Amino acid sequence: MVNLRAEWNATSLPSAVVPSAIGPELATEARARLERADYTRYALLDRGNYDEVKSPREPELIAALAGIAKAVTGRSLEVAEVRALRLLPGDYVLVRHDRVHEGRPVELVLDLSAQSIPDAEVHYRHRGQVFFVFPSTPGALALVERGPTVMSNHTYVSKLHAGASVVRLIILLHERP
Amino acid sequence: MWRLGPAWQDEERLAREWRAATPFPHFVVDDFVPADVLPGLLAVVDEEPVSDYRGDIFAFEATAPEPRTATFSGLRDAFADVLVGPLQRITGKEVQRADMRAYAYRAGHHLLPHTDHQQGVGRVLAYAYYLPSPEPPDGGELELFRCATERGEIVATVSARLIEPRSNRLVVFEVGDVSLHQVREVCAGLRISLAGWFYP
Repeated sequence: MVNLRAEWNATSLPSAVVPSAIGPELATEARARLERADYTRYALLDRGNYDEVKSPREPELIAALAGIAKAVTGRSLEVAEVRALRLLPGDYVLVRHDRVHEGRPVELVLDLSAQSIPDAEVHYRHRGQVFFVFPSTPGALALVERGPTVMSNHTYVSKLHAGASVVRLIILLHERP
Repeated sequence: MWRLGPAWQDEERLAREWRAATPFPHFVVDDFVPADVLPGLLAVVDEEPVSDYRGDIFAFEATAPEPRTATFSGLRDAFADVLVGPLQRITGKEVQRADMRAYAYRAGHHLLPHTDHQQGVGRVLAYAYYLPSPEPPDGGELELFRCATERGEIVATVSARLIEPRSNRLVVFEVGDVSLHQVREVCAGLRISLAGWFYP
């Protein structure tokens, strides 16, 4: 955790990756619960094309991830928003579908996918330039400090990867008042 | 450098096609130029350097926005010279000049849905011209979408037309805030095209 704190503090655009934040069995169980929660299709194609579960009920997992975020960032944080995305071949989330965040919230992305999918990445951009890439890494957790100049997109999942399913749990943490 | 094929002799037919087209005005011309013109075009395109381009909506190889070689610059200018008159008569749009880049889409390359419309840029008409490929592509169709809007925002999209990237085919379509289109992912082979916009 000391190394992650150093990684987080190393740049003016803080980010870090916890390589094995969740094991394969727990990830499988979480994916199954999300399936039961029933994904909703988002298809405004000039913005994104994906499946979503809004506010998934994953209290223990979310609390554990928030605890990791507090330890890495050294900040007092609380959960503001949670959602789960599932991207299938042909899916994507564009920058213009993201929104500007005021303050310095922290965004967590937990990769719950069963398999790594080539080129299926989350990109974080500062004034349009990519500064952090979170590749498809099952079990890994990315932490990124958001702010008014930081936007994100989920890259296109190629149809060359038949049967691909990228599942990401996304948590936004705000500073505790 | 460019000679128009026989389809251009009936501009009234193309104008009717333009006006009747859905989901937004467009037309498609096959056999755009006589076949004997193609080797010369390919030779010019072959000399222009290409680079890899990737963004949140695209992944492809392309030439630079501004031509690097005088021959490609000449190809672009001659293209505009030969088409400005017919396009003004067919579409009723006032256009004077065009830009042009060459694109190579290989397996996995794509251009996700977008409108081309940017305030203040002045794009009036978009075009794509498909060149012969040594490995004709599987995929790479131009897909046009019908959009519903509320207060200027797109709130629903439906696929309305698929246009195959057939060799020696030209597609021209109107640029507007609902001219939503994409290049579907190429799953195999190589899709080669010249594309750009006409401006006032």
